[in-house]
Amino acid sequence: MSSNPSSLPTVNRRTFLKSIGTSAVAVASVQVGAMADEINKAAGPGPQGPDAVPITLSINGEKKDFQLEPRVTLLDALRNHGPLTGAKEVCDRGTCGACTVFIDGKLTYSCMKLAIDAQGHEITTIEGLGKNGQLTAVQQAFVDCDALMCGFCTPGLVMAATALLASNPKPTESEIKRGCSGNLCRCGTYPHVIKAVLKASGATVTETTTVTNYGSVA
Amino acid sequence: MNSFQYVTAHTPDEAVSLIGKNGRYLAGGIDLLGEMKDYIVSPDVVVNVKGMSQPTELGTILLPTGVTNTANCQIGASVTVAEIAAHEDLKKVLPGLIEAASEIGSPQIRNVATLAGNLLQHSRCWYYRQPDIVCLKRGGDMCHAHEGENKYHSLFTGCACLSPVVSNLSVIFAALDVAIKVKRAGKTETLSIAEFYQEAWKNPQTHNSLNPEDFLLTASIPLKRTRSAYRQVSEKSEFDWAMVSCAAAGNVANGKITNVRVALGAVAPVPYMVEAAHHFLEGKSLTDENASKAADLILKDAKPLAHNGYKVPLAHTLIRRTLLALNP
Repeated sequence: MSSNPSSLPTVNRRTFLKSIGTSAVAVASVQVGAMADEINKAAGPGPQGPDAVPITLSINGEKKDFQLEPRVTLLDALRNHGPLTGAKEVCDRGTCGACTVFIDGKLTYSCMKLAIDAQGHEITTIEGLGKNGQLTAVQQAFVDCDALMCGFCTPGLVMAATALLASNPKPTESEIKRGCSGNLCRCGTYPHVIKAVLKASGATVTETTTVTNYGSVA
Repeated sequence: MNSFQYVTAHTPDEAVSLIGKNGRYLAGGIDLLGEMKDYIVSPDVVVNVKGMSQPTELGTILLPTGVTNTANCQIGASVTVAEIAAHEDLKKVLPGLIEAASEIGSPQIRNVATLAGNLLQHSRCWYYRQPDIVCLKRGGDMCHAHEGENKYHSLFTGCACLSPVVSNLSVIFAALDVAIKVKRAGKTETLSIAEFYQEAWKNPQTHNSLNPEDFLLTASIPLKRTRSAYRQVSEKSEFDWAMVSCAAAGNVANGKITNVRVALGAVAPVPYMVEAAHHFLEGKSLTDENASKAADLILKDAKPLAHNGYKVPLAHTLIRRTLLALNP
């Protein structure tokens, strides 16, 4: 035996049994998990609910586990179980756009999507747009152009504008109206929203820039 | 909404077997979730039909290259409205279809709403959609639109329900003479658009001719009509239902039109067509005068209600505009 027992790893009976135990469980659960995945791939999980079931959502790049009834909407899951309160609940009928998020990069009303139905897809909310505390160009343009009054529609409109510019980097005024047509602003800030999207697209927008014919937007 | 079981089907046969007596298929969910939230429907089981990798035709747009007179374009039930609206090659051969799809809902809705969901969407009548009223369509004993607010209701109907069809795709599909393939009672059946909606013309409790367990597979669009157009008038310029819509399709050569079909939307429980107008137009010059006479024939039997009389001149104008848009 060495005269210096402290140089050896301290293995006693308790830590030895503990490490054996956890590694055995870990091996077993990996196998069960893999088997369950295979079964699910082949036949699907079968009927779920109506009581709460485990649901995993990928939100802003992170996996998050929930225990929810199948009737819970994605919006409800985000806001009340997330908690990510950026997407807003207003009409709850797919009409106002305040709840808008991206699902696999596509603009979607989260109030008209079941949370259980959004599994396996990448969800991006307004909280996931800016990185490292920096505003995106669209967000900054909304600030610069004063494109909000009460601000309740703003997260949805920022999502719509972001999606529009991703597919059409230099939209015209009428293309902006069409791209944002699924979002209502009760305060009527539309002319400033259009200015903000124009600015975010790189167009020159000044104090005196006016957006015409905005009455036809809503 | 009430609670329910959720299950994913991987094939049309499995979907049919899972739906049970009080189930509903879930694709885009825009119409279904709206009805469930208002307790218009409360299914026991919701069958997710988006997870089907087979048959592949469900999720694809098949457009043959080198279009011939006998060729068809086939669009699967699960194809989204956004995918149709953005399809560059479809735009060249079926411009009216692109126009109709582009007018559906908002970007958020077009991204998830499917071809099947648009064709099968339920009535938008405010009495039907009001949770506290059980109207004729929902099994009650009267249609409240007769004596009530009927601004958006039908000019033509074969039954006591006054709610009109509001599917944009139904109107352009009627003009293009589309055949709908449906899984029904273990077999595959093909229905014309007239057959697909005729039940709603005579039975006030239906929205179309499908049974709840019938499963829509594909829409097959003949490409023999090389000109097509869709026009609608709404109260808002974007994201609104049509007050009246019109679709037309046909062939135009040397200013003469042949093989023409015209359909009106939002004026009847079915896409409304009048054969006499097609016969009148056959071989005629595509002029405003002839289009106007065709419009007279189509609107001959219109029965305006207290608040929807405006739809008659609106439909007349739309028929003329849509027909004249067929000119190359």
